[in-house]
Amino acid sequence: MAAKSTLKNAFPIILLTIVVAVCVSLLTYVDSLTRDRIEAQEEEKVQNMLSAMFPEMSRYEFKDDIYIIYSNSDKVGYAFIAIGKGYGGDINILVGLEDETTIKGITIISHKETPGLGSRIAESSFTDMFRGLNIADVALSRDGGQIDAITGSTISSSAVVDAVRTEAMEKVKLLKDSEEGG
Amino acid sequence: MGKFGKEFAKGLILSNPVFVLALGLCPTLAISTSIDNALGMTLAVLIVLLGANIIIAAIRKIVPNIMRIPIFIVIIATLVTAVNLIFHAYLPDTYESLGIFLPLVVVNCIILGRAEAFASKNPVLHSIADALGITIGFMLALLMISFIRQVLGTGNLTVFGFDFGTLPVLGEHPMAIFVLPYGAFLVIGLIMAIFRWKGVMKGD
Repeated sequence: MAAKSTLKNAFPIILLTIVVAVCVSLLTYVDSLTRDRIEAQEEEKVQNMLSAMFPEMSRYEFKDDIYIIYSNSDKVGYAFIAIGKGYGGDINILVGLEDETTIKGITIISHKETPGLGSRIAESSFTDMFRGLNIADVALSRDGGQIDAITGSTISSSAVVDAVRTEAMEKVKLLKDSEEGG
Repeated sequence: MGKFGKEFAKGLILSNPVFVLALGLCPTLAISTSIDNALGMTLAVLIVLLGANIIIAAIRKIVPNIMRIPIFIVIIATLVTAVNLIFHAYLPDTYESLGIFLPLVVVNCIILGRAEAFASKNPVLHSIADALGITIGFMLALLMISFIRQVLGTGNLTVFGFDFGTLPVLGEHPMAIFVLPYGAFLVIGLIMAIFRWKGVMKGD
């Protein structure tokens, strides 16, 4: 009798263990089915963004958080991701550099800014202002720079501007250091 | 109408998960900004709810009462994680725009609610009908709210890249309040008020 009641008490635990074991193996299987595709998907996303910015790109290398863009064997530019502290959360910005002083362009990858106000940082009327600027000129016009803030969205605008300038200066320094070093 | 049909039909209006049962309001409020999002969320809920209802109805007789909730949660969490991986691999755009609300389907009250209230007490076939009815009810609610919010909030109706056109004045000056969170409360509140006014909610 005692053995039987022990079994009865243990049954819920055994059942839960079995359910969890089945679920874990199922998930492992789904993961193995989808993993390659998810990686390819992420890779493709980066590739599409880069080739939209550098139409002449034939391949790219990713080193120390910097994408080095090649057209055949010529180096045609650099790109990196800058993160701005926006009004609603992080703003992820893809920044392209033509050379070590000039911005090629920027693309807003994702943001959480207020729709209709801060969200306009993603529109081309805003991002186009960065094109061809010297890195030092990336500042809001009230601070003596070349970028006009979006009306009613000063926080979002300056978050993008500050992130692009700070990150660009840092990356350029990194690029110069690595050139001198090797 | 057979029992199958009855269980199916009740989810559409009489126990509409959003407007009548008031379940799953968090994802509803958050993602009902566009028709694309509404359909993506519906697909996720369909897979998870159908899977959970079938499995739970099938094992309902061997699950002891005290282990109900943990076992249901493990099953639901497994399905949601699988749906996440599949969406990430095959529907990357939908995966991106649903964001955090896709993994949060795991705590969507509609799913645990139906498992507890229905699938744990009914046979598999009826649980399938229940899942389908509730999902379609959820879809109708999401589509209704998303349509209003997308059209008024952006002045434009685009579904999966197909542009149905832009409204003349609203296209220039959309009422952004409707795509913001409080716009969701406003729209849901008004639709619920209409349901109540028309006497859909019985017993109050």
